Amino acid sequence: MKKIIEVKNLTKQYKELKAIDNLSFDVVEGEIFGLLGPNGSGKSTTINCILQLLSFESGSIKVFGKEMMPDSYDIKQKIGVVFQEVAVFDELTVYENIDYFCGLYIKDKKLRKEYVQYAIDLVGLNDFVKFQPKKLSGGLLRRLNIACGIAHKPKLIILDEPTVAVDPQSRNNILEGIKKLRDDGATIIYTTHYMEEVEILCDRIMILDKGKILASGKIDELKQLANIEEKITVEVNDITKEQLSKMSKLKNVEDVSFNQPNLVVTYKKGNNNIVKFMDYLNKEKITYTKIFSERPTLNDVFLELTGKDLRD
Amino acid sequence: MFIHNLKYFFKIIFRNRMLIFWTFAFPIILGTFFNMAFSNIEKNERLDIIDIAIVDNQLFKDDEVMKNTFKELSNKKNKDQLFNTKYVDLNKAKELLSKNKVVGYLLLEDNNTQVVVLDNGIDETIFKYVVDEIIQTKEMLPDVIEYELLNSTKKDREVNINEMYSNINKMIQEDKSKIKDISKSNLSYTMIEFYTLIAMTCLYGGIIGMSAINMCLANMSNKGKRIEVSPICKTKIILSSLFASFIIQLIGLALLFIYTIFVLKVDYGSNILAIILLSLVGTLAGLSLGITTAVLVKKDENTKIGIMISTTMIGCVLSGMMGITMKYIIDKNIPIVNKLNPVNMITDGFYSLYYYSESNRFLFNVISLVIFSLFLILISSIRLRRNKYDNI
Repeated sequence: MKKIIEVKNLTKQYKELKAIDNLSFDVVEGEIFGLLGPNGSGKSTTINCILQLLSFESGSIKVFGKEMMPDSYDIKQKIGVVFQEVAVFDELTVYENIDYFCGLYIKDKKLRKEYVQYAIDLVGLNDFVKFQPKKLSGGLLRRLNIACGIAHKPKLIILDEPTVAVDPQSRNNILEGIKKLRDDGATIIYTTHYMEEVEILCDRIMILDKGKILASGKIDELKQLANIEEKITVEVNDITKEQLSKMSKLKNVEDVSFNQPNLVVTYKKGNNNIVKFMDYLNKEKITYTKIFSERPTLNDVFLELTGKDLRD
Repeated sequence: MFIHNLKYFFKIIFRNRMLIFWTFAFPIILGTFFNMAFSNIEKNERLDIIDIAIVDNQLFKDDEVMKNTFKELSNKKNKDQLFNTKYVDLNKAKELLSKNKVVGYLLLEDNNTQVVVLDNGIDETIFKYVVDEIIQTKEMLPDVIEYELLNSTKKDREVNINEMYSNINKMIQEDKSKIKDISKSNLSYTMIEFYTLIAMTCLYGGIIGMSAINMCLANMSNKGKRIEVSPICKTKIILSSLFASFIIQLIGLALLFIYTIFVLKVDYGSNILAIILLSLVGTLAGLSLGITTAVLVKKDENTKIGIMISTTMIGCVLSGMMGITMKYIIDKNIPIVNKLNPVNMITDGFYSLYYYSESNRFLFNVISLVIFSLFLILISSIRLRRNKYDNI
């Protein structure tokens, strides 16, 4: 696979604080690469270093096989960026904003008109083209922010937390749009602290904390790091301490906890655990109203690796 | 790309109500108030002849320049008469002043020339100004004499001495006419208000330049981040935005000129080319002040606008917007302040254009404004050259 971004030994320091500590990773063509980490983990700093907005102490960054420099205009031509903060002009309409930013990349007016329309269709802003940004809701504003960043049909798209403070409808719209961009051939870097989004979208993930890589790989590979196979949650009326103690000694069970009415049993490994556990409950004559199984989440991986929750 | 950015920058600025208010509307509103407040006062004061006293001591009697100039300016047959002068001894002068019979008196002492006044009104200011002008001309005489002597040989010295006296005499005559010029009936301190108003508009235009810089830089705004990651050379986009700012500033200034000339009937003089030149360099000074504020002040845009407005207003006050006396006081006591004050450079440029036939003082102000602008642009360019930021 062709490498689109190659970051080697990147280190960025703010006075005493190491914001990025010897970071190395690659992003390959056609994938959605997730940068996951809590606030302040170094995601945005990494993006800003790749884009040469921030100076850094050491390391090298190659984009499209070439050393990235502040005046690498040929490389910048192929990159689209959607920053975390909404960056549009309040004085311009939705259409004018997209046209202005697209115009920084595309000189041909006719082609630009086509591209602007493509972006408007993609984010679903057709009904709002003549609106000024201050008249848009938070979700629509985020969609405009995305449209401004991708209208010139870049080959590499960097999205820095594009769904922060967005309503569910807009979030779904944005996530669908990102998938479509990938399907149209773009390579995407997606930073977020919402693990659900990463699980839905990303082909590969890198988990960051305090500027360091905690883990990276495909979702299934990462979930193995969580050291659990599945969690079974059962809704029961009551349960005794003896019953809990007995359960914790079952084969492959890692942990048992009860917070009325939810009994949570964590399995380290094994197959068909839910079926086996239902058999056990019937055998022990423990009545239950609901039962469901969950695979480990990326939050469990983060918890396992750092001892803290992703959103702490 | 240049045109694309220019087109949208115009749209952005013309739709920004706050910027339009400060650069277009505010000077026109202020000009209207000036006109309403001062025009009647001026009508009443315009034709008054000022009563003064001069201590008629030996030093005054020996001072030909001073004596002749005041004689001329106090001549009742002269249609440009400015003073009604009483030649008295010191005690009488003090008495006249204490009884408000005169606005002030002139006392020549060894190495000191005093203008004693009780108040700081327009009459007192004119009196002081005239005395200052005479003193300045007198101070130039030794230089002229020295120059004439150095340029003469022994053989023709006699001839040149005659020529030298002729030149000195000419200078005194010029001085008289200059003083007459400034003291003729249309001497208008309201004009100073309008000059400062023009200067204020030039500098307020800097707010647009400041917005242009803020818009383009990643460490100033989110839009700046987006622009800096685009494949456009930063210099190109900054120049395009600043060019648009300059044009918008000039439009604002032109509107103010049109309004004050045709509606308020303000007379800026007849030298249109010089007025245009001064307006252009004044606008450049405003623009450069805006760029420097944007680059050096690490605060949000509203704070920067506040700094620009307050700096400009202080400059306006010091150069006479709220009364010409302030300009006189600063010029007299801390001249360096007004030498560095761009508002004063513009105001003084218009002033010299209107009241003086010679262009030295006007050109000095124009050159000062150009130096001021280039200095600020140079400082800003050093900061703007950075391609990456330590923090954004």
